[in-house]
Amino acid sequence: MGAKTKRIGYFCPLVPEEIIMAAGLQPVRMAGEAESTSAADGHLYHNLCPYIKNVMSTGLDRGAKHLDGVVFARSCDGMRRMFDAWRTYIDTRFIYMLEVPKNTDEPALKYYASQLKDFASAIGQAFDVTIDDAALRAAIKQAGKFRQAAQDIFALQRSKPLPVKGSDLFAVSARASTQDKDAALKEIKKLSSAAGKAKPEKAGSRRPRILISGNMMDRPDLFELLEAAGADVPVADLCTDLRYFSRQADGTAGDPYLALARAYLGEPHCSRTASPIERTVEIQKLIRDYSIDGVLLTSLKFCDLHLYDAPYITETLKNAGIPVLFLENDYTFTNKGQLKVRIEAFIEVLNEKRD
Amino acid sequence: MIKTFYENMKNFLEDQYQKKPRASDRVRMQVADTVLEAFKPDSRVVWVSWLNFPMELLSAFDVASFDPELGPGLVCTLETDRSMEVMSEAEQAGFSIDLCSAHRLALGCQLRGYMPKADLLIGHSYFCDGSARVNGLLAQYHGKEAVTLDMPFGMDKKAVAYVAGQLQYVARKIEEATGARLDMDKLRESIRASNRARRALNELAELQKTSPVSWNGTSTVAMSLFQHIKAGKPVQEQIYRELIDECRNNLESGALQPENYRVLWLAWYPAQPFVTYEVFKKNGVKIVMGEQTRAFWDEIDENNPWESLAMRDFNSPYIGPIEQRLDGIMKTIDEYHIDGVVHFSHDACRHTCAAHRMIGDAVQKRGVPFLTLEGDISDKRKYSEDRTRLLLESFIDVMAGRK
Repeated sequence: MGAKTKRIGYFCPLVPEEIIMAAGLQPVRMAGEAESTSAADGHLYHNLCPYIKNVMSTGLDRGAKHLDGVVFARSCDGMRRMFDAWRTYIDTRFIYMLEVPKNTDEPALKYYASQLKDFASAIGQAFDVTIDDAALRAAIKQAGKFRQAAQDIFALQRSKPLPVKGSDLFAVSARASTQDKDAALKEIKKLSSAAGKAKPEKAGSRRPRILISGNMMDRPDLFELLEAAGADVPVADLCTDLRYFSRQADGTAGDPYLALARAYLGEPHCSRTASPIERTVEIQKLIRDYSIDGVLLTSLKFCDLHLYDAPYITETLKNAGIPVLFLENDYTFTNKGQLKVRIEAFIEVLNEKRD
Repeated sequence: MIKTFYENMKNFLEDQYQKKPRASDRVRMQVADTVLEAFKPDSRVVWVSWLNFPMELLSAFDVASFDPELGPGLVCTLETDRSMEVMSEAEQAGFSIDLCSAHRLALGCQLRGYMPKADLLIGHSYFCDGSARVNGLLAQYHGKEAVTLDMPFGMDKKAVAYVAGQLQYVARKIEEATGARLDMDKLRESIRASNRARRALNELAELQKTSPVSWNGTSTVAMSLFQHIKAGKPVQEQIYRELIDECRNNLESGALQPENYRVLWLAWYPAQPFVTYEVFKKNGVKIVMGEQTRAFWDEIDENNPWESLAMRDFNSPYIGPIEQRLDGIMKTIDEYHIDGVVHFSHDACRHTCAAHRMIGDAVQKRGVPFLTLEGDISDKRKYSEDRTRLLLESFIDVMAGRK
C-alpha cells in the first residue's frame, strides 16, 4: 500500500481487518497515546476502562483528521458508549458500529457473517468501492500470510530455550495491527530469521516460563518486568498478541464472510465471546503447549469482562497446581514500581517452588 | 437471608394492607410472592433478569422466576449492614470492589447459600457485560446450564429475527430444564394480558402529568420493576387499575402536598437508604417519572409473538445508541413539565454512567437543570450522605433560579 492509502481506525480486534483491506484501505488499530485521560473522564466517566479513556482522550486532543474513518465494535459496555460519545464530540468522516454477537453458536455466526456483509457494503459505499468476493478472498489471503508467519513464530516459542524474547515478539505483535500488512510481514519475518539462534540453556539455569493472559495491551512493561526478574514469556494471550494473529480465515471456498465470522468468533476466545469456564480451558491448553510454569493474569482496571473471570480462572489454575499472579493495570503502567515488586516476588516464589 | 427478608416483608405488607388497603403495597407483595415462589421446594425455577427479559414468555410457563440481581438487591433496602457483610464475602473470593455491588451481593449470597435453587439460568447481554458474566458464574455454582439472550446494538429486521430465534431456543431450554411445556395459546393469553396492563400503565402515567403529581417517588421507582416482573399475568392490570383509582382519589381529595419542582429520575435508584426523599420532601420536590417507568415498548402482536417479544426488548432505553435514551428523556421532559433531571450514576454501571455527559448536554440545551448524582445502589462505602445532601440542595437552588 502506498503512503496515500486511506486509513481506517478500529478499536477492537474483533473487527476483521480483511474487509477494510478489501476496500483498498489500511486498517489501523487505535492505540491510546494520551498521557492523561482527564478529557475522557469529562466526556465519558471515570469508571471506564483506561484503554477506552485513553483512546477517547487521544481523539478529543488530536481530533480524527488523520484518519478517514473509525470503526467500533459492540465488544463491551464502554465501547458502545464511546461510539456514542465519539460521534457526538469528534468530527469524523466515516463512523461505523459493527455488531459482534456475544454467543458463538451457528445462529450467532450466521448473524455475524450478515453483519460483516453489511459492514463491507457500508464501507464500500462510503469510499466508492465495490467489495466483491474476489477482493475479499484476496485480502483474506494477504492477511493470512502475516498471520501464518506469526503463527510459525508462536509454534517455535513452544521449544526450549526460548527462540524469541517475549518482549521482542510483543513489540512486533502490537505494532502489526497498527501498520500496513506488508511492513508487518517484513518485521515478523525478520524476527523469525533471528529465531533459532538462541544458545542452549546451561543445566540448572532454566528461566521460569510465564504466560501473560489478559486483554488490550500496547506497552511492553509487563514483559520487560518479567524478563528483568529472570523469567521468559513464550506467549501472551492478549487482544494484541496471540489472539490477534489467530484469526486466520479459510477464504478459499464458500462464503468468505462466514469464514471470517468463524475465524473471529472462534478459538482462542477473549472474555467477550467465551464463558470464564471456556477461557480457563483454553488457558490450560496454552499452559501445556508452551510448558508454562506460572500465569500472570492481568486486566485493565474497570474491565468487567475480565474482572469477573479473574477469581474463577485464578482458583481453577491454582487448584491445578499452576501459580497465578493477578494484576490490574491502567494501560499506561503508571504504577510500574508496585508491579515490579509483585512480579519479583512471584518469580522468586516460582523459583523456590522449582528448586 | 433472602427468604426471611421477603417473608417478613410479605407479613408486614399484608398487615398494613389489612389496616389500610393500598395498591402500592400490593405491588410490593407481588414482588415478595414472586421471590418466595422460587424458594418453594417443589418449584421449577428459572433465573432471569426481570427487567430485561420479556417476562410474557416466562408467564406462559408454569415456572417460578428469580432475578439474581434484584432478588438479593432489594434486601439492601432494610438490611444494609448485612448486605455489606455478604458483599464482602464475594470480595474475599476475589471479586473486585470496582465491580457492580448488585453483582457482588448476588455472588456473596450464592457463596453463603442464601439463593434459591436454579433449574436454568438465562442471562442477557443487556443491560451490562457483568450481568451475563455473573450468570455464567452462578450457573457453575449450581451445575446448571447458562444461556445468554444476545441483543444486538441496533434494531433492524435481521436483528429482530436473530433475537426471535434465540427466544424460541430459550423456550426449548426452559422446557428441557423444567419439564414444563410451552402452550402457544397460553403465550397468546399472556401477551393479551400484557397488552391490557400496558394500556392501564399508560392511563396511570397520563395521570402523573397533573400538578401536583398523584403518586410519590417510591411508587415511581417500584413501578419500573412491577411492569416487568408480572408482565403477562392478569394481576398486573388489576393492580394498575387499583393504582389509577388511588391516584384519582388523591387528586379529587385535594389533600395532595403542593409541589415546587417536578423531577425526572434517570438510571437506577439506590436500594440502600438514601437522603434523597428527605431532602426532596423538605423542599417540595416530586419525582414525577422514572426513565424506566413509562411503557417504552409498543403493543405486542400475539400473531407474531417471537418477533414482537424481541421488539419489546429492543425498545428499552438502555439498548441501542444513546439517541434511544435521549428521545425518551426529551419526550418525558416535555410531557411531564419537568423542572430538573437527576441522573443517578451507580458507581460500577459503565453504560449508564458513561452517557451522563451526553444526556446532561442535551438536557441543559433544552434549558432544564441536570444533576449527575454519584453513588451506589447498595454499597454504603460508595455513598456519602453529606455530599449527596449538598449536591441535591445545590441542585434545588439551580431549579429555583430557573423558575
